Amino acid sequence: MNRIKKASVLAAALLLLCGLAVYFQSSRQPMRYTVTFFDMFDTRTEIVGYASNEEEFIRQAELLADKLLYYHRLYDIYNDYEGISNLKTINEKAGIEPVKVEREIIELLKFGKEMYEVTDGQMNIAMGSVLRIWHDYREAGRNNPSAALLPPMESLEQAAGHTDIRQVIIDEENETVYLADAEMSLDVGSIGKGYAVQQVAEYAREIGMDSVLFSVGGNVCAVGSKPEKDLWRVGIQNPDTESNETYLRKVEIADACVVTSGNYQRYYTVNGVRYSHIIDPDTLMPAEYAASVSVVTRDSGVADALSTAVYNMPYEQGRAWVASMDGVEAMWIFGDGSIRYSDGFEDYMVQ
Amino acid sequence: MERKTKKNDILLIVGLLVMALLFSMGLALYRQINTRQPVAVVRIGEAEYGRFPLNVEITETIELSNGAYNILKIENGKADITEASCPDGICVRHWAISKQNETIVCLPNQVVVEIENGEESDVDSMTN
Repeated sequence: MNRIKKASVLAAALLLLCGLAVYFQSSRQPMRYTVTFFDMFDTRTEIVGYASNEEEFIRQAELLADKLLYYHRLYDIYNDYEGISNLKTINEKAGIEPVKVEREIIELLKFGKEMYEVTDGQMNIAMGSVLRIWHDYREAGRNNPSAALLPPMESLEQAAGHTDIRQVIIDEENETVYLADAEMSLDVGSIGKGYAVQQVAEYAREIGMDSVLFSVGGNVCAVGSKPEKDLWRVGIQNPDTESNETYLRKVEIADACVVTSGNYQRYYTVNGVRYSHIIDPDTLMPAEYAASVSVVTRDSGVADALSTAVYNMPYEQGRAWVASMDGVEAMWIFGDGSIRYSDGFEDYMVQ
Repeated sequence: MERKTKKNDILLIVGLLVMALLFSMGLALYRQINTRQPVAVVRIGEAEYGRFPLNVEITETIELSNGAYNILKIENGKADITEASCPDGICVRHWAISKQNETIVCLPNQVVVEIENGEESDVDSMTN
């Protein structure tokens, strides 16, 4: 009898010890959390990260989301917000007067000018007049598909006469921006999101978050790696949205960004033909070289600008251009489902 | 003396076996209660509209007060939006979802379908 008692006490003590071990193990290891926001850049924002508890993570994620919302409002060309001058304000004052703006707008526009040079004009933030026409025809066509029309080439060409980026006058000293051409307007759709994500990623590092993954509408940016040095795994969506194969390829990244420009998410249909939202500055029509182009590089803003520029180029030209840049890799998916890579892209790929 | 010890040994073994059995039964019962079915949670804005288990095939028309709608179809263990009144159609083109935290979002209608208790996805995020 005594022996059974002893054994029971021993067993209970062992169980208690196991329980304590499991408890301490789980409380020490950072847990994975995901928060989703819907009020930025007309898309879904997901922040994935690791923290010791949920409250802590949500508190930090909300700091990041607040920053993103701030950038969203500054870079918005369709809505006004109380108490701030944004890109819409600058567009409205085109040809009238310079507008005093926040530092974050000056920096974005400087980055836009830099990317204009880098992409040899394939990425132009001063193309708002042309993009506005496409935007209006696309909206009308979606709301009434049977009456969908293409914009007349004459009006596109007329608008294209007002896209000279040198007419975007930035006065750094007085912190003003002036569009010297009254017919001109800014549209940062191809870099605003990526640039904002990059700024917020840097902010995350500043406040000590060293393991975060952002996705702002498919604009993915990794701060650090996962715990234990594991890489973040990002699926590249199949342009064939009917297919059961959701991702055609998967890449693994740490401290890097992946951005995709594609024709299968945002488009409208005219007489049975799809017209995507990415407009080639040379033809003023949607580019049709590839179904999607994904770019991997360290800076989210650069990735955003380059994916648009490469999407607007024939494959051979884009491939040669990507090869000429350090730390930039790309993957093309074509309409027939075939896939091409830049030389170093496969290093990122999950085999 | 010898006989008694043997009896005690047997008692000890039987006792431990019974304890182990009870413990494993308890664990199995706990697991059964705790195993939650994968479910598609539908929200309109902040408000929860409904929860639809992925193992029950249904077609649900999610109607909004302004006449807009999204049709949710659950089939083969996956949730899909098959039709919607929104002009962009991004939710309709989205693939059928079944993995943990996968979502289909209709921004114009503020409708979000999200998987809870789903199988873990093999990617952390996706780009499109």
